Amino acid sequence: MSKRGISLFLIGLFVFAVLASGCIGGSEETSTATSAQSGSQYAEQLVIGVTDKVTDLDPANAYDFYTWEVLNNVMEGLVKYEPGTLEIKPALAERWEVSDDSKVWTFYLRKDAKFADGTPLKAQDVVRSIERVMNINGDPAWLVTDFVDKVEAKDDYTVVFYLKDSVSYFLSLLTTPPYFPVHPSYKPNEIDSDQTAGGVGPYKIAKWVRDEELVLEANENYYGEKPKTEKIIIKFYRDASTMRLALQNGEIDIAWRTLKPTDIESLKKEGKFQVIEIPGAFIRYVCLNTQKDPTKEVKVRQALAAALDRADLSNKVFRGTVDPLYSLIPNGMWSHIDAFKEKYGDANIELAKNLLKEAGYDENNPLQIQLWYTPTHYGDTEADLAQVLKEQWEKTGVIKVDIKSAEWGTYVDYARKGQMQVYLLGWYPDYLDPDDYTTPFLKSTANSWAGTGYANPQMDEVLTKAQTLVDQNERATLYEQAQQILAEDVPYIPLIQGKLFVVASPGVGGVKIGPDMIFKYYTLYKEE
Amino acid sequence: MARGVGQYILIRGLMIIPTVLILYTIVFIFLRILPGDPILAVVGTKNIAPEQLEHLRAMAGLDKPLYVQYFDYLWRMLHGDFGVTLAFPMGKPVVEYLKLRFPATLELTLFGFSISVLLGLLTGVIGAVKKGTKIDAGMRLYSIIAYTLFIPWFGMMLQYIFGVHFHLLPTSGRISPGLDLHTITGLYIFDSILTGNGEAFIDALKHIILPSFTLGLVLSGAYTRLVRNNMVDVLSQDFIRAYKARGVRDWKITWYALKNAFIPIVTLMGLQFAILLGGAVLTETTFNWPGMGTFIVDRIDYRDYNAIQGAVVFFAFFVGLISLIVDVVYALLDPRVKY
Repeated sequence: MSKRGISLFLIGLFVFAVLASGCIGGSEETSTATSAQSGSQYAEQLVIGVTDKVTDLDPANAYDFYTWEVLNNVMEGLVKYEPGTLEIKPALAERWEVSDDSKVWTFYLRKDAKFADGTPLKAQDVVRSIERVMNINGDPAWLVTDFVDKVEAKDDYTVVFYLKDSVSYFLSLLTTPPYFPVHPSYKPNEIDSDQTAGGVGPYKIAKWVRDEELVLEANENYYGEKPKTEKIIIKFYRDASTMRLALQNGEIDIAWRTLKPTDIESLKKEGKFQVIEIPGAFIRYVCLNTQKDPTKEVKVRQALAAALDRADLSNKVFRGTVDPLYSLIPNGMWSHIDAFKEKYGDANIELAKNLLKEAGYDENNPLQIQLWYTPTHYGDTEADLAQVLKEQWEKTGVIKVDIKSAEWGTYVDYARKGQMQVYLLGWYPDYLDPDDYTTPFLKSTANSWAGTGYANPQMDEVLTKAQTLVDQNERATLYEQAQQILAEDVPYIPLIQGKLFVVASPGVGGVKIGPDMIFKYYTLYKEE
Repeated sequence: MARGVGQYILIRGLMIIPTVLILYTIVFIFLRILPGDPILAVVGTKNIAPEQLEHLRAMAGLDKPLYVQYFDYLWRMLHGDFGVTLAFPMGKPVVEYLKLRFPATLELTLFGFSISVLLGLLTGVIGAVKKGTKIDAGMRLYSIIAYTLFIPWFGMMLQYIFGVHFHLLPTSGRISPGLDLHTITGLYIFDSILTGNGEAFIDALKHIILPSFTLGLVLSGAYTRLVRNNMVDVLSQDFIRAYKARGVRDWKITWYALKNAFIPIVTLMGLQFAILLGGAVLTETTFNWPGMGTFIVDRIDYRDYNAIQGAVVFFAFFVGLISLIVDVVYALLDPRVKY
């Protein structure tokens, strides 16, 4: 290239830059198109911002809350929750029968269910999908394999599940994505992560650019009521601050999971947006290593539980966007009791000091603990949470806390290996039953992931019995007993229960999120 | 001459290989030294049998000895295969992500680069021409302020002013939701021109203004200083005095001076390009720009070895290539350089 050529190239570059920066004035409005459908008073399109990610569009492998939400909008199970409630109602199955021993469940499918491309749904599709999950054996497969022995199609519209044991909450399990029938184009017995064919659901996936945009369009072949909004666009954000700015600039209509507590507080005060509060079923708790000193000593664990002030945590760290929690079973769920409140109260410094004294600690010989947290996995508030916990424990004058942190990959590794003493974790439910909040934590054969090393034969027995009984009252008694043992042994200290917040522009309506915390987009609308 | 240039380019090109190899080795070692396990990061706290964990680890090739993993990946890279992702979702070719994300970064970088050079030249030339005046002091102050600005803070200020307050420009993303654009190169602005999609062109342009201006302004400070000092040097030389004596117009003199001051600026452009890519990581995060920067940051969280290795090696190769181009341009511009 000659010198003249290079000069021309550079001049061209400058001109290009000038043109680029000079085009601010373009007045054409192209952001969220809101042209009305003919005959509809609602906007054709609605944009939802999220900081979550879609991980895997294959229900045989997807095992995170947000992906389950998307799958719930493009697929359906044999039964589903009535939006906004915990009531289970027929979905792809019109009705069902249960054998006397609760081990054989027969479902009769509706005959007008079709996949998004018009392929009719048959019992064989349900069987193929369930067997596919069992064969692939991905992360969520245990929700099927732990319970289902085999599944059969009696005819085109009758599916029979044979269970390994009677499971009282089998219908709750059926509402989870591993039980959703998938389109025949999903790869047989192999994970198909980017498959967008979906299942039978109110929406179909029209476009997906990973981590950028997901476009859902109403499925014209859906048997049920047509969604109120024809097109739902999900915009993925890396952080909550950018999402908040996008909401304020009108780039999105709804800011969903998850804005920062401070953002929610200030948007509430601003008064320009609807801030819709929904009780959430996710919980946060402290894990205590029962195999390592000094938390090996039960009185130390009890003292740590007694010194906590959950209301203070809620206000200081989460600006009131969470509720105090005194059990692993969330507030409002049947069988929940405030076991820790009854036994220790709140900020019971005197009791904590006495228990520590019995364990051999005092002002001259303080208890020294390491408190671990992971900086980003649970949002930006985690460092503050650790700091406030430290302050509360150190208020006793007998505890010295050393705060430590590790990135998620490392943190999980440490937890599984039982290398940490005191550490923070959180839990989103798989299915809505007290079993999901107790067995994975407290049953010695199921809690190795948590690294607390907790094992109590009495607890194991109670939980096993509660899992197989059908009568809810009998089960509730057993779960209450489990919560009391938990408060006595303290391998975990429940801290808070999260609330969910939907922040929406004026004119957006139809937000119905139930205790399953899944946002069903088909009830959403935006007034013109 | 032509043979000389060819040889020079070939040798410089071959030099990229050891650079990339060293970087790959460093990244490989660092990822393995850091605590944490990609499979556990994906599985998280959910209950999973140890044998299932082992199965996943074997599927990802993490059960093999380290030296086997190292050479396996190297061998694959030589064949253009950057392996498969270990997280979200597992098993997707990393190349697919590079193809998807790189154009976004390239587009942002090109615009940021253009703006930084433009602003740097403009402020530098003004400073030199007005040497010793308040304007010159102002330009020098500009260069210091621009150089020290923190991208996320400055970006958020622009987002707030031009987005939230005046509603003039979008604050995040590359294009408005639901706007259809047929992609050819992955560079949205060029694609919209190529496909004749005026609406998408305006929209994509609006989206790139804030992030590229943030990036460009922050990096322009270095140019301001260099251009000013070089121009001052050139403007004090005899040939400029001769021009002035002959009554050549001021703007022409400035243009000749700028041409003469250009050689060190080209070198800086090459160096800046690497810094620019680093700045792009911060800018992408601030503006939710779906490029390589946000991709690497996401993947580090999950210890996705293959994705991080692949992206870093790809970046290194790209920077090496740009550096090669700059060296060649430099050599062409400077008559003193012999091949």
